[in-house]
Amino acid sequence: MEATHDVLVVGAGCAGMRAAIEAHDAGADVGVISKLHPTRSHSGAAEGGINAALGNAGDDDPEKHTFDTVKGSDYLGDQDGIEILCREAPGDIYQLEHWGAFFSRRDDGKLAQRPFGAAGSPRTVFAADITGHVLIQVLYEQLVKRDITVYEEFFAWQLVENDGRCQGVIAWDLVNGGLKTFGGKTVVLCTGGQGRIYRVTTNAYACTGDGMAMALRLGVPLKDMEFMQFHPTTLYPSGVLLTEGCRGEGAYLINKDGERFMQRYAPNALELASRDVVSRSETTEIEAGRGINGSVLLDMRHLGAERIIERLPGSRELSMTFAGVDPIYDPVPVRPGAHYHMGGVDTDNDGATELTGLYAAGETACVSVHGANRLGGNSLMETITFGRRAGRAAAEWALSHTTIDVPTSAEADAARELGRMLDFSGGERPWQIRQDLGSSMLDNFGVFRYADQMAQQVDYLEELKERFDRGVVIEDKGDVFNTDLTSAIELGFCIDLARCMLQAGLARTESRGAHSRPRDYPDRDDENWMRHSISRWNGDGPELSYKEVRVTRFEPMERTY
Amino acid sequence: MDVGLKIWRFNRETGDRELREYEIDAPEEATLLDCLDIVKDKHDGSLAYRKSCRMMICGSCGMRMDGGAVLACKTRIYDVVKDGHVPTISAMGNLPIIKDLVVDMAPFWAKFRAVDPYLRPGYQEPPHGKEHLISPQRMNVIHKEALCINCGCCVSECNAMESDPRFLGPQALAKAMRFVGDPRDGHKIDRLETLNDEHGIWECTRCYFCNERCPKGVDPRDAIAKLGAESMKEGIERDMGAKHAKWFVHSAKTTGWLRETELVPKTQGVVSAIKQTKFALGLLKHGKVPPPFPPHVAEGVGESRRLYDLVQDQGVRGYDAIVQGERALAKLEHMHDEDNGRDPFAEGTLRPYLPDEKPEEIGGANEGMGSLTQADVTPGEEPTRKPEGGA
Amino acid sequence: MKQVAYYKGCLASLSAKELDTSTQALAPKVGLELVELESVTCCGAGDIHEAEPDYYLHLNARILAYAEQTGCDTLMTICNVCTLNLRQANWQLKNDDNLRARVSANLETVGAPPYDGTVDVKHLLWLIAEGDGFERLKTVAHKGLKGLKVAPFYGCQILRPSKLLGFEDPDQPWSLEAIIEACGGEPIDYPAKIKCCGFPIIQAREETALGELIQPIEQASEAGADAIVTPCPLCHLSLDAWQSKLRKQTGKDFAMPILHLSQLIGVAAGLEESELKFKRHVVSVAPVVEKLEA
Repeated sequence: MEATHDVLVVGAGCAGMRAAIEAHDAGADVGVISKLHPTRSHSGAAEGGINAALGNAGDDDPEKHTFDTVKGSDYLGDQDGIEILCREAPGDIYQLEHWGAFFSRRDDGKLAQRPFGAAGSPRTVFAADITGHVLIQVLYEQLVKRDITVYEEFFAWQLVENDGRCQGVIAWDLVNGGLKTFGGKTVVLCTGGQGRIYRVTTNAYACTGDGMAMALRLGVPLKDMEFMQFHPTTLYPSGVLLTEGCRGEGAYLINKDGERFMQRYAPNALELASRDVVSRSETTEIEAGRGINGSVLLDMRHLGAERIIERLPGSRELSMTFAGVDPIYDPVPVRPGAHYHMGGVDTDNDGATELTGLYAAGETACVSVHGANRLGGNSLMETITFGRRAGRAAAEWALSHTTIDVPTSAEADAARELGRMLDFSGGERPWQIRQDLGSSMLDNFGVFRYADQMAQQVDYLEELKERFDRGVVIEDKGDVFNTDLTSAIELGFCIDLARCMLQAGLARTESRGAHSRPRDYPDRDDENWMRHSISRWNGDGPELSYKEVRVTRFEPMERTY
Repeated sequence: MDVGLKIWRFNRETGDRELREYEIDAPEEATLLDCLDIVKDKHDGSLAYRKSCRMMICGSCGMRMDGGAVLACKTRIYDVVKDGHVPTISAMGNLPIIKDLVVDMAPFWAKFRAVDPYLRPGYQEPPHGKEHLISPQRMNVIHKEALCINCGCCVSECNAMESDPRFLGPQALAKAMRFVGDPRDGHKIDRLETLNDEHGIWECTRCYFCNERCPKGVDPRDAIAKLGAESMKEGIERDMGAKHAKWFVHSAKTTGWLRETELVPKTQGVVSAIKQTKFALGLLKHGKVPPPFPPHVAEGVGESRRLYDLVQDQGVRGYDAIVQGERALAKLEHMHDEDNGRDPFAEGTLRPYLPDEKPEEIGGANEGMGSLTQADVTPGEEPTRKPEGGA
Repeated sequence: MKQVAYYKGCLASLSAKELDTSTQALAPKVGLELVELESVTCCGAGDIHEAEPDYYLHLNARILAYAEQTGCDTLMTICNVCTLNLRQANWQLKNDDNLRARVSANLETVGAPPYDGTVDVKHLLWLIAEGDGFERLKTVAHKGLKGLKVAPFYGCQILRPSKLLGFEDPDQPWSLEAIIEACGGEPIDYPAKIKCCGFPIIQAREETALGELIQPIEQASEAGADAIVTPCPLCHLSLDAWQSKLRKQTGKDFAMPILHLSQLIGVAAGLEESELKFKRHVVSVAPVVEKLEA
């Protein structure tokens, strides 16, 4: 074995680093495994902000935040988890500030808070439009301060289960080559989401759902897989994210005639309605022929150069570099893109999964605090609050247990599989399957879902799975920095997760949150469907079952903005 | 469009270096990173490079294009190749190469760790366990240094580091300034003392390559200057570099012109200066060592002396004195057509309107609450429509 | 004739007097009437910018204010460092009302003229690399360099940071090459032409600086250059006066003559030794003179 630790954290974004820090502070010996250097993690790309009911920008309290989140989740969120998130959020923010996080300030020196989608009160703490970057930096600094061991550029590929427990991780050493096995009394999965399943996504190349797929293949249940959030303002054509903060500062969404169409869909909240509402509105406009190049326009001109440069400099640079448009002078073409996955590995409020010793936090996990739709700013908060909770829970369990037992066959089996992959020749390259997956998912499982298309996609995914299993050609046979190999493995993860998503989506005969079936089931059906979808792997493919939603405070109401 | 790329391949195991040329077909909006993806997917799967976010924030894809470090995801390839140019892509400099365009960042991170890159809080607790109260102006002292994404582009081109690999370098020093200038940090003096050591602040050669190459506008050279200024404000002046700088100040306020001849002993100390005698005599022969007497005094030097005293009185010193110029310098980063008078709402442009309003109305932001109130006045101008109605 | 305010800087006043004499002699030939600024001081170099940044700003504001007094719209510099310092101060003052108000008021308090922001700072290099200056240059460099192989060494602070200097592409500059060619010389290309000579740390970190200095000298030498030309007297000091120190490092005696820009053009334009003052150089320029007289 390469090494053993009390707690192994897989993934070093906000959730992973926060979990590692907490586990370390709880007295555990921690090892972080990450396929990227920690500061490269996709959490760093988050822009707009992180929510907490601090009350700096007006009357606010955790109760209001809870209600907004529950409503935003279209009543699919587990309310006890949401209460915990909203209650503990302020303390977590203050802790980050004490660690030196660079946040934007009000004139009186307090943390500034800006309005964000579907929030009754401005509660999004931010750092210009680079909040994720600031959080990644402060967490990495705290990681370095504690001298926590990081195995960076180790690609985690398989979890090891033995004796009813998760016992470790098998990873591919990206820099030097070779499979390395790590033993851990507990493993915390913080590997982010799987936006790269879609052709148009805000996500980094690395967002391929690795942790979810590893858990899935071990038989650990995933929850609410059908709920993929499409962010309304991704740049055309690249899919690069333009923060909701632009709309928070007052930007308009207009169609090709200049009409602020959101008034017709969300007359009170307008551009700052919930993301699923806005994405659907945009898609409707585009499909009705009122878009340009399959996009609508984000208009910031009226904000003025000074405000744009002061509050949204990053967004301006992104528009200019990736869309070739300066928002001071011209509206920016934007369209919905796959952004955040509400579903994930089923966990309790402390990040524990069904498998003893296995935990998950962040986008990888589904507590669920976001239900069927996530509010902007809540995801970063989740990574911190639940990253902390999962880290502590994992540490406490690890410290009260002594053994690690990783069977030697685990690595041997993995090595055989690896050999088979590398040996294969005379077939297609991974990019061909990746492209077909991305396009078909966007067409058939995007913002609006139709039964016939979804059924088609289920079959198509079977086909893609067959093509992948037949073998893909990995041209790089070397040991050193073989991303040709790792990106092929990632593709395999994506296909399996896509199958879970489709199965759950086709079965859910209602519209709720981000899952919208405008033709056959346009309404929310609380009587039959106020429950979580559970996907479990049975060896060949996913199997569906259901789990109740935990309602503590708020009974479901009609959701309008 | 057709894109040609020349890429330096490197195999660490065999030590082989090879310049390979690739011809690809790429969309017009492609970045250099997109082109590398096309090469790897469709032409040569063994090409190794780092990437992740593809939106200039993760810092993975630093590499050299035609000898200068850039972020591959930020580089639109159309402008580079439109006249038929075939760029040469190679790994970043000053770091060992693992494979092709992938460098070993371990030395980079080692220098990062060497400056204690985390907050070392002082004793002052923030009120009620909540946030420290820090004004936006005070926080902005370090806002440029806080932009750093650790991409390595500055380090790649650092001339001082190329000559002396032990130099801490622009990235580590900028990160150090991020904490020296953070009001919540309680160890400024300790930090400055360490940064004034042999491979710190005063080894910077002021080539400005780092400022030039940084894709985020961090301006590491200016961060280093801030550290120097703050060191001297705090009386940390033991380094020859600091003494050298001090002599410039002394010259300016006494004779106006630089007192060149005395610069050597004043910087290096008399004993060391004596060791340079042979060298100095060589210079003296050619008149390169102007006699210190009579001193070359500038006309009107009294004004310069009085300016020095006035500036001391007004007390803008240390890093604040460099930060004060950043407001103006930021205009260089965020250039736009302001002075060309381009009107965003000129004749023929799209005008936003609400479905239940006329198209001529233009709304304005209102303290960021744009969606909750319908401000109908373009800021700073006469109302186009009074809230109660009417003209 | 274009009238320009002339700021010679510290080195040209003293140890690099040859730069001043050759510039003053050359100027009328290339259509420049120099109005020398008397009441000015050192620009502070990178040193005062680092040690006393507010003082640096005021010293440069004062130089600019005195330049404005001449009525010229251009302040001509002959040193890279002066150019960057003055241009940076100029930009900062022009683009920040509060800063300008305080600095200008301070200038008046000490009896100096106020800063109005009416002058643009340009290095001699820029004035003669294109436009009318370049045309004059071509007609005047009649004696010609006769195919002399000249390696251009730009020096950092005439190229970077390009957002403040902005005359040419910092990665692919062309001005020196154009001038060398116009004077009948053959420009020599080599990688280190845009790198640092090490001057700012040549005393405080001699070894590191020499590690930088060796590059242009060795590369130019290996590329067959007869001489190096530079627009910065600080680079000149490194390349010329400190060249002997490279002997210890490499065992080689490069004997590479280093010319100031004004001397290179001056020699092509037929200036006398009394104006060029080659004898003041530490590394003998005799081989160049011989080649040209041959």
